[in-house]
Parts: sequence; C-alpha cells; structure tokens
Amino acid sequence: MSQPIQIENLNFSYGPVSVLEDANLSLGEREFVSIVGPNGGGKTTLLKIILGLLEPQSGSVSVFGKVPEIGRKQIGYLPQYTSLDALFPVTALDVVLMGRLGITRSLGFYTKSDREAAHAMLSRVGLDKFHNRPLSALSGGQKQRVLIARALVSEPKLLLLDEPSSSLDDYVEQELFDLLQELNKELTIVVVSHDVAYVSRYVEKVICVNRVVHTHPVSEIDENLIHDMYGEHVHAVRHDQEQE
Amino acid sequence: MAAFFQALLQHSFLQHALLAGLLVSISCGIVGTYVVTRRITYLAGGIAHCVLGGMGFARYMQVVHEWTFFTPMLGALLAALLAAFIIGWVNMKAKERIDTVISAFWGMGMAIGILFIAKTPGYGEDLMSYLFGNILLVSQRDLLAIAGLDLFIAATALLFHKQFVAVCFDEEFARLRGINTQFFYFLMLALTALTVVLMVSIVGIVMVIVMLTLPAAIAGRFCLRMGSMMALAAGLCALFTFGGLALSYAPDLPAGASIIVLTGVSYLLSLLFKKR
Repeated sequence: MSQPIQIENLNFSYGPVSVLEDANLSLGEREFVSIVGPNGGGKTTLLKIILGLLEPQSGSVSVFGKVPEIGRKQIGYLPQYTSLDALFPVTALDVVLMGRLGITRSLGFYTKSDREAAHAMLSRVGLDKFHNRPLSALSGGQKQRVLIARALVSEPKLLLLDEPSSSLDDYVEQELFDLLQELNKELTIVVVSHDVAYVSRYVEKVICVNRVVHTHPVSEIDENLIHDMYGEHVHAVRHDQEQE
Repeated sequence: MAAFFQALLQHSFLQHALLAGLLVSISCGIVGTYVVTRRITYLAGGIAHCVLGGMGFARYMQVVHEWTFFTPMLGALLAALLAAFIIGWVNMKAKERIDTVISAFWGMGMAIGILFIAKTPGYGEDLMSYLFGNILLVSQRDLLAIAGLDLFIAATALLFHKQFVAVCFDEEFARLRGINTQFFYFLMLALTALTVVLMVSIVGIVMVIVMLTLPAAIAGRFCLRMGSMMALAAGLCALFTFGGLALSYAPDLPAGASIIVLTGVSYLLSLLFKKR
C-alpha cells in the first residue's frame, strides 16, 4: 500500500509570487497531523495541490501512489464552512448524500444503498435523528459534523479538514477533535489549523507551512518554533498545563 | 374575472395562451431554482437580452431575404445558447470582472437586435412584442415547440438532479467527487438559455428575469429542499401567469406586464412572512 501523501521538491507560485518553495512532505497511514502556519503562508495552496485543484510548477505529488486527480478519490474533504451558502435548501441527509457522487450511478436519483450509507454515517457522527433538518437550522458544530459525514460516506482512506474549528466554540471544538481521534483508528487525518496550541494536544506531527514546509513531531513544538513561524506576537503555548 | 372565464371557453387564442403559460411554468420553476440558488441572476439577464439580437436577425432574414424557416423563435434559441456559452466561458476562464463582461453582452445583444429590426420593413410591432411579450399571439406551432423544449428541460433536470444540486451547493466538492462540473455548469446555462427563450414569448425579454427569479425566490423562503422548491416555484409561476392573464383581460391591459406586476407584488408580500 502506498503512502497517503508523498510530496517531493515541490514549487508553486502565483505569477512572480512564490508561495511554496522546495516543499517535501511525507505522510504515513493512520497518521494524525496538522498543517499550521500564518494566513497567506501557503496552507490552502498546499491543500489544493494535494487535492489536484492546483498544478505545481515543479516537483512531484502523489496521493496513494497516484497523481492527485486520480488519488483524490480516496480523500474525504471538508471545506471551510464559510465558503458555503448558509440558506441553501438542503437537508442534512441531502448534504451527506453528495459524498456518494462518483460511487453511485450517474443517471437518476440516489439509490437505496446510498441512502443507507448516508444514514449510517449520520448516526456515526451522532446526527441521524436530524436527517430531515435543513442545514440552515443546525448549529455550527452540527453543520461541521454533517460535512464530516459527507466526507466519510465515500469511505475514504484520508480525511482532509480545512480549518474545521474556526467557527466553533471551545466545547464543540473539543467534541470535534474527540470524534477525529476516534476516526483516526481507521484513517489518516490531516487538519489545517491556525491554532497550533490546540491541535498539538491531539496530533502526532505538525507540518509548518510558511513558504517553506517543515514537519515537526509535536514534542518539538515550543515558543521558539512558533516565533520562527509567525514572527513575534503569538501567545505562548503551554503543553505542560494542558496535558496534565 | 367572469368575463375572462367566459372568453376562455370561446377563444382558442386564450386557451393557447393559458396552455403556453402553464407549460413554460414547469421549466421556469426548475431553472429558476438553479438561477436563484447558484446566484446567476445577472448572467441569466445577460442571456435574455442577447436574445433580441437573435430575434431581430431572424426577422430581418425572414422579411428581407425570405429565409422563411428562420423564425424569430429559432433566432432566439440560437442567440440564447451562443450567449450562454460565451458568457459561461468568459466567466470560467477570463480574469475580467464577470459583471462587466455580462453588461457588454447585455447591451450589444440588444443593440444588434435593434439595428436589424430598424432595417426590417414594418418593424414597430415586432420590437414591442419581443421586448414585452405577446402571450396572446401563441400559435399552435409555437405550443408544440414550447412543449418539446419543456420536456427536454424537465427530463434533463430529472436525470441529473443530484449533480445539479451538488454543483449549485458546493462546486469544488462535486469536482473532487469526480463530477465534470464544467459540463454541468454549461448544461445548466444551456437550460437557462432554453427557458429564457420559452419565457420570452410569454412576458418578453425585458421581464424574463422576473419570472426566472421571483417565483423561485418565494419558494425558497418556504421550501427545505431543491426538489420541493422547484415544484412550488413552478406552481407559483403557473398561478401568476394565470392570474395576470385573467386580471388583464377585462380592462384590456398588456398580459405580460400584468403577470410581472402580480409576481413582483406577491414576492414583496412574501417578505412579510417569516422565513422557514
């Protein structure tokens, strides 16, 4: 089985602006990692390259041993919720069913087995009783769970989440990460986050992206590293207290 | 109102008008829902106004060069599809501001139509009926064309319902799931173009955009799913067409404008109700 993500000597630029330089990244099965870095540092670009939505100028990218356009079928993707229309007329179940595209038949409506899979996944995230609720009537945390169910219903081997906790309060954020931790028993998880302090309680490795890409085991994360990444004014991280 | 029903039983032109309105309502509900949820109202407006270019050109060729087969409806169809393709392509590829590009097509389409109509003998009535519709002039042949296009639109929407919903809701995700989102985007614009052509015969170019957006917008305030939104929008569209036609009959008002005012007032009233 090939590695979920393997990136070598990757360079990407928007016109004259270099976004990623000589990036290397390797991700093993069932790893739980976080991509962190300042806004504009290239996190989203890296994500889009992995998803095959952007083409790098040079370097190689493989997703489960294949080019991203093919390998991405194994990826469950959770976009930032803010990119979606909050008033769109869909129910929770409708949204989850969208994850069956590419698996289900192409003509006509979703099949019975699509619906069963979607219901099962909604139960998994604890929301099956809300399957008929419009998306707009769910709380921020519930919406995130619906989108996670949509990402999972295609039975991916890698789950990619873009800033999943940006709109959640602390309690809901913890629930979300507990769920991810459980899912991690079966799949590889990559979480894009701007909150190094928080995610480092859960993940094994932190991938710092700020034009260059460095992978650090969580144990290496300290003030100096964060200082290097973000520049000066970032509040100190205290793993010692939080992990008591 | 009673006079209208009496006339409806007697006059086939009124029956044709009503039947045309009801048929077009089906497409209007379906495509209107795409236009509203995908937020391409302005794009649809651009396509609608380009139609005048096609109609003017067709009429000119018919009268001056005796291309009898080239009916204004055929001209409208070609112009709408061409406009949809070009505007969609520019929207996807170019780095230009899309609203500016649409404005350019919007204006040029109309101008080309006006130039051709000006050079066509006896142009006055044509221009008015293209711009403001003339539902009472729907012929039996028009009805057949309308029914055919309607069937095509409804069948396409039904077959690809899940793809259209996904592309409207979250195009990037749909693409990652292996959906050819460019194809479905263009197909959606093509359906929009066809619906515009159907609506033009009822309410005219200038007011198409009202029928394409407001019934769906009202439906969207009460419906929880795309499918029910389409059904309610189609029902409302039929109701407004029928109501506008009936109200306009006795005082001899223009049918298209009456339909539009009724639709617009209903939309404004719907804003008073609490959203779902």
